[in-house]
Amino acid sequence: MIKTILLKDLKLYFSDRKGILLTFLLPIILITLFAFSFGGVGRKKRVPKPTTLLVVDKDSSQASINFIHKVHSLPMMNLKQMTEEKALDKVKKGKNVGVLLFNKGFQEAVMNGSPIPVELQFDAAREIQTRMLLSVVQESMQRAFGKTQVNSNLQVKTTPVIKLTDNKPNPGLVQAVSGTAIMMLLFSIAAIGGSLLDEKEAGTLKRLLSSPIKPLHILFGKMSTAMIISVLQLAGMFVFAWLAFGLPIFMDTLTLALLILCISFAVSSFGIFLVSVVKTRQQLQGMSSIIIILMSAIGGSMIPIYMMPDFIKKVAVFSVNYWGIEGFFDIFWRQLTVVDILPKMGILIGMGLLMTLLSVPLFKRNIISLD
Amino acid sequence: MIQVANLSKSYGTVQAVKNISFEINEGEIFGLLGPNGAGKSTTLSMLSSMLKCDKGIISIDGIKLNGNARKFKTLIGVVPQEISLYEELSAYENLLFWGKLYGIVVADLKKKIDETLKLIGLYERRKDLVKTYSGGMKRRINIAAALLHNPKVLLLDEPTVGIDPQSRNLIFEIIESLNKQGMTIVYTTHYMEEVERLCDRIAIVDNGEIIAQGTKNQLQELVPNTEEVQIEFETFTNSQFENLKSAISTQMSKDSNTVHIHAGVKELPVIISTCNSLSVKIKDIQLRKVNLEMIFLHLTGKQLRD
Ligand SMILES: Nc1ncnc2c1ncn2[C@@H]1O[C@H](COP(=O)(O)OP(=O)(O)O)[C@@H](O)[C@H]1O
Ligand SMILES: [Mg+2]
Repeated sequence: MIKTILLKDLKLYFSDRKGILLTFLLPIILITLFAFSFGGVGRKKRVPKPTTLLVVDKDSSQASINFIHKVHSLPMMNLKQMTEEKALDKVKKGKNVGVLLFNKGFQEAVMNGSPIPVELQFDAAREIQTRMLLSVVQESMQRAFGKTQVNSNLQVKTTPVIKLTDNKPNPGLVQAVSGTAIMMLLFSIAAIGGSLLDEKEAGTLKRLLSSPIKPLHILFGKMSTAMIISVLQLAGMFVFAWLAFGLPIFMDTLTLALLILCISFAVSSFGIFLVSVVKTRQQLQGMSSIIIILMSAIGGSMIPIYMMPDFIKKVAVFSVNYWGIEGFFDIFWRQLTVVDILPKMGILIGMGLLMTLLSVPLFKRNIISLD
Repeated sequence: MIQVANLSKSYGTVQAVKNISFEINEGEIFGLLGPNGAGKSTTLSMLSSMLKCDKGIISIDGIKLNGNARKFKTLIGVVPQEISLYEELSAYENLLFWGKLYGIVVADLKKKIDETLKLIGLYERRKDLVKTYSGGMKRRINIAAALLHNPKVLLLDEPTVGIDPQSRNLIFEIIESLNKQGMTIVYTTHYMEEVERLCDRIAIVDNGEIIAQGTKNQLQELVPNTEEVQIEFETFTNSQFENLKSAISTQMSKDSNTVHIHAGVKELPVIISTCNSLSVKIKDIQLRKVNLEMIFLHLTGKQLRD
């Protein structure tokens, strides 16, 4: 029965040219706009707060221990010491901007007054944050050494952990495509959910209810429609980004497909949840726009999440956008494996299940009661 | 065949249906006649188990609705008051979709759709989108969609609203032919001519209550006189109406400049001379056979259509 309803809904969906325009053309235009303008993202002069710095002490000498302790006690720095492997993994997964390495020979260099082997490894996508970090590191090192040391020896060597190279897409492009695609997806899914209210107003819902199908099949039929449209829309956007901007979408096709499915599931359940909460089309229109714009804003669809203040980063995790965009960054930028991304996919599916479960009683009460 | 006992339904504080009871016999056309807001649609929605009743019992052939909603739904065909079709799909696509919901084998369904399209006279237009149809054609497809699973009972909710007389006649013929084939029909309307033409038995509803039910003859007996004198005056004030009422002691009602008097030809001379003596100027006089509209007026003191 769900299939019958689904096929009918798809047929109806594609009979509406405006719908198709909204699903495909508008996001393409926006992605193009953002893709061009994000080129300048890294060059903007913004001063974010200094970030916690990971520290690896490979020298493990009296001098390095003393020095790390001194830097840590400075008010502007918060050092976290760990193994090199762990620290680099954190940077690769996007949890930290960079790691400061005290290489072997630190103590000797301090004593001899030769160049000090300190190295900052960083994520090149987070350029401004890295620069910030670097200046703070240099300043605090100077303070820690005091005036006894020669300043010219305090050049910190920098090495990007994740480099901007030819086989990696421009992070601005990944941001533009994934951020915009998910936001526009939310709008088209809200519209599909809304067609349930149209059916209520037109009376076809009454006829559906007078047939012997299970009422919940009506809800799941809509959800399946939303799911298929979102897979098509997301896939369409990435194919466009590949054709127009050379985004390497075939780098890890399986992971990309899985992530698209998880996002589609989360987003479709969001759609039916939204429509089950409201009673009329007008209510839906008002509510969905506000919720979608809010979710997109805090979730990183409009402004990259790492540029946001800390308190927004904390609430961002409640949005589908955040997990979706982070997932796409994991694939295209951090180039993680499917196993590394599974937790994010799990969260998306969890969000979807929760919203589906909540929709069921609401749908029964608000939509099919006919009261 | 269908028994309804003490059925009630409220929407919030609005009591839409108040403790109604009636019975529908197999093979008959049963009419529910009443003005807008009387509770007809609500009653049909409960009969078709789309809407849960607050109180009361509905049964078909002795089977109670409670717990058997799905079985009920296969026995009943519903023609909602609204055109409940997908305008962006063709008539054929609509029927195919609605039929599939009943789990009919597709080959059988397609045969049934062709047959039904021919019955309603839209076979040639089957591939056109519903939105290109006239009001009357949409109404016919609206009926067709309820027939595909061969229901034993067809519930029609005001199936002729907003269409021309010709289309209306076509729909009557469709209903009559379905009835001849043995289908039991429940027909709601606020047009008394429709129930007079179609229905074997009628229930008159007002304010959620059944105020009278029976065959047309049984209902007519409720009105003391089988005729009605209808006089239109040049001007007719309320005080003149009061004077007339006290001068002639039969039942009458006033409707702007017109008075409806339950009386026959024999009483006509008396009525005219009374009017003359009260010096109200007569513009027009009509003598009419009692119809359901007058019965409604007689029972409720108001017009069927306001
Ligand atoms: N969904 C609803 N919510 C609230 N009130 C309703 C609803 N449907 C009908 N009513 C009210 O119930 C009464 C009966 O309506 P209805 O059954 O549609 O009458 P009819 O079909 O005879 O015109 C009316 O007063 C109407 O306003
Ligand atoms: Mg009605």
